[in-house]
Amino acid sequence: MSFPVFINDGHPMNLIMRNIVKSFGATRALKGVDFTVTDAEVHGLLGENGAGKSTLMNILGGTYNQNSGDIIIDGKDCSTLDTNTSFSLGIRFIHQELNLVNDLMAYENLFLGREKTSQYGRLDKLAMIQASTAVFKRMNVDIDPLTEVRDLDTSQKQLVEIARALLFDCKLIIMDEPTTALTNKEISNLFDIIRSLKNEGVSVIYISHKMPELFEICDSYTVFRDGCFIQSGAIKDIDEHIATELLVGRKIDSDEVVKPANTNSSVMDINALSCKPYFRDVSFSLKKGEVLAITGLFGDGRGELAECLFGARHTTDGEILINGKVSKHRRIKDAIDASIAMIPRNRKERSIIPDMSIQDNLSMASFSNNGNSLFVRKPQERERFSRCQKNMNIKSGHPDNLITSLSGGNQQKVIFSRWLELDSDILILDNPTQGIDVGAKFQIYHLINQLSEQSKSCILFSSEFPEIYQVADRCLVMYMGQVNTILSREELTEMNVMYYATGSNLEVKNAINQ
Amino acid sequence: MRLTSDAIMVQQKAKGEALKRFFSNHPYLISFAVLAVIATIINPDYLTYTSLSTLLKQSAIKGVIALGMTLVIISGNIDLSVGAIVALVSGLGVVVFNTTESIVVTLLFCSLFGSILGWINGMFITKGRIAAFIVTLATMSAYRSIIVQIGQGGPFNVDMNVLSAITTVVNGRTLGVPHLALIFVFLAVAMHLLMSQTKFGRYVYAVGSNEEAARLTGINVHRVKIITFCIIGALSGISAFLLIGRLTSITAVNAGIFFELDAIAAVAIGGAAMSGGRGRIAGTFLGAIMLQMIEGILIAAAIPPFLNGLVKGIIILLAVLFQNKKSD
Repeated sequence: MSFPVFINDGHPMNLIMRNIVKSFGATRALKGVDFTVTDAEVHGLLGENGAGKSTLMNILGGTYNQNSGDIIIDGKDCSTLDTNTSFSLGIRFIHQELNLVNDLMAYENLFLGREKTSQYGRLDKLAMIQASTAVFKRMNVDIDPLTEVRDLDTSQKQLVEIARALLFDCKLIIMDEPTTALTNKEISNLFDIIRSLKNEGVSVIYISHKMPELFEICDSYTVFRDGCFIQSGAIKDIDEHIATELLVGRKIDSDEVVKPANTNSSVMDINALSCKPYFRDVSFSLKKGEVLAITGLFGDGRGELAECLFGARHTTDGEILINGKVSKHRRIKDAIDASIAMIPRNRKERSIIPDMSIQDNLSMASFSNNGNSLFVRKPQERERFSRCQKNMNIKSGHPDNLITSLSGGNQQKVIFSRWLELDSDILILDNPTQGIDVGAKFQIYHLINQLSEQSKSCILFSSEFPEIYQVADRCLVMYMGQVNTILSREELTEMNVMYYATGSNLEVKNAINQ
Repeated sequence: MRLTSDAIMVQQKAKGEALKRFFSNHPYLISFAVLAVIATIINPDYLTYTSLSTLLKQSAIKGVIALGMTLVIISGNIDLSVGAIVALVSGLGVVVFNTTESIVVTLLFCSLFGSILGWINGMFITKGRIAAFIVTLATMSAYRSIIVQIGQGGPFNVDMNVLSAITTVVNGRTLGVPHLALIFVFLAVAMHLLMSQTKFGRYVYAVGSNEEAARLTGINVHRVKIITFCIIGALSGISAFLLIGRLTSITAVNAGIFFELDAIAAVAIGGAAMSGGRGRIAGTFLGAIMLQMIEGILIAAAIPPFLNGLVKGIIILLAVLFQNKKSD
């Protein structure tokens, strides 16, 4: 069976999405947004994490169906799209995550699900390989269609993902953060392709957090915030400052939090730490009693940095000094012995031991790190639980009930207690308020501020500005695996964070150099 | 003090909750009770002391291995090589016993050599990053092949002049209790304490339930896994020692054959999750006895012994099916 390739009628697609609403359970991801692409244009879609960009694009790609709202393509009502209709209308979706099968060759991945076959159903390998070669040549990239995808590096995989969209004729390509793994040369190649596609009448919806790219390639823009449509227009009418303002909104009016400058000596010094290909040359120092926030956008290497600081991932270069002494940090135990604790991100996958009771979950770190006793002392465990339950205000049933019987916020409080029991000097908090309710969030902020009063130092990895603003003394902003800047408390505004996280300052520098 | 009806309700609810928790933690008690009732219906003398101690005695040799299998399965692995370990250790154990004529040396040899064989499995699984299923499938073939070669296909016989020494130890009775039963109960209690009262026991559960979370609390996951394989190796060694005393003649080709099947079956019937994280020694202990009871029931019900394997296979599937249903 050959897949029905849509007929290119020579007209650019005219896409109108009107009043689109999409809910996931109780959360409304899209609250009635409008989105329009006309003519052959490169349309930048801007918004912070969780603004609803990907949800809308998944509706357009046919992955989700909207709860209400209309999709009109070339004047026809196409409100119920599925992936196949979306494909035959000429819409291609290049996903942010790589969706490739490692065990197959590059050309097999390109044609996956849409294989070319001969009359009797035999795979027409030669035709597929030739077509793949042609696409790669057109993209000006050097990938042999016969290489197994596992042998490609990340940037090549991303190029294969892009090539997949170009394989068949199309009218509209959605690119969701297509450049996270690409080098500058590859990015400029990609932009050449986008421009030539535009000349052929193909539109591109370009989603990116990187301001320099958006301003280089896009013709028009649309901004979303919190699932709402904010503004749309021609990109030449705005600059990156206005764009950042639109992203952030002006409604940040939470209480002013004042924090005096921390003048203590440093407890932890990071010197040119690298873990290739995730991040490189990261240096900073953490003072006693300080809360240092580390933030950035998707693909900045933050998660890997957190793991390296805890000895859970090997570094490729650089050193970690604790109280002036070099720490080996080869294993997690080394980090714990150096008085570091970590609340990992992704509570469900990386913190919770689902088959264990609340009490055992709480005691876990104490078991593995306190003393040489072989035995578990039940009364001691019970006492520890009651103490923590009181301190942290954990709402739970019997301590022998499974941890999974608790709400997300209470689970996270148990995990916090697990680590606070070790009384470490340095706490690494990797996205500690992920998926918990507002009440529990504020309890955790309060706790972090308390810890810093007790001269404990915290490193908070977070992508939410309001959270950073609540607790941070300083904020380190990463951009593409490197430290872009470290903001002091006075400089800590959402505008500034977005400005540096999107690399806008680098664009200015480049402009001056040219 | 007079309790209001609300307070009584709350108390009853708490009691009900505790009871519910107890049975969801010990599901094997229910199946054991059902089986005991069936057995008693078929044979009213079933629940006498003699038949119970016989039951314990009969289930001991495989049951000891099942105790170790519980640890391995709770940690999220499996060991298919236990039968081959029994063959290799028991064959060489006979040679050691004939040479040294010492019960103590033989027992030490069996448990130590067994744990070394288990350690080899553990090293390949952790450091070599090979699935436990594959590693133990390979060693299952390898270990048995070694002993078949050494024995050149023939049996290993305990010398007549030292024979009585080992048979009295293994088959004898103290205060009317068969030694096999005593050993099984002793090891079961020891393993129960290991799993419920020590930190190591908690690590085994944690590793099987969520390996990444366990690693991130500073648990040395590799070490925990290797130790579980050493333990099951040592227990298989002890089982081999008991087998020598029981049979006095070891044929390498079929000694310990299908022991892995019975051990895994006992763990499954005992209510452990095959995916790891959940399970109890007490469950496996009763599971091993239940397997033996089923064999007895089959005989009493005049079902052809050739169908034993079929019945066991069905029981394993039913036990795991029941498990999955419950966790849904």
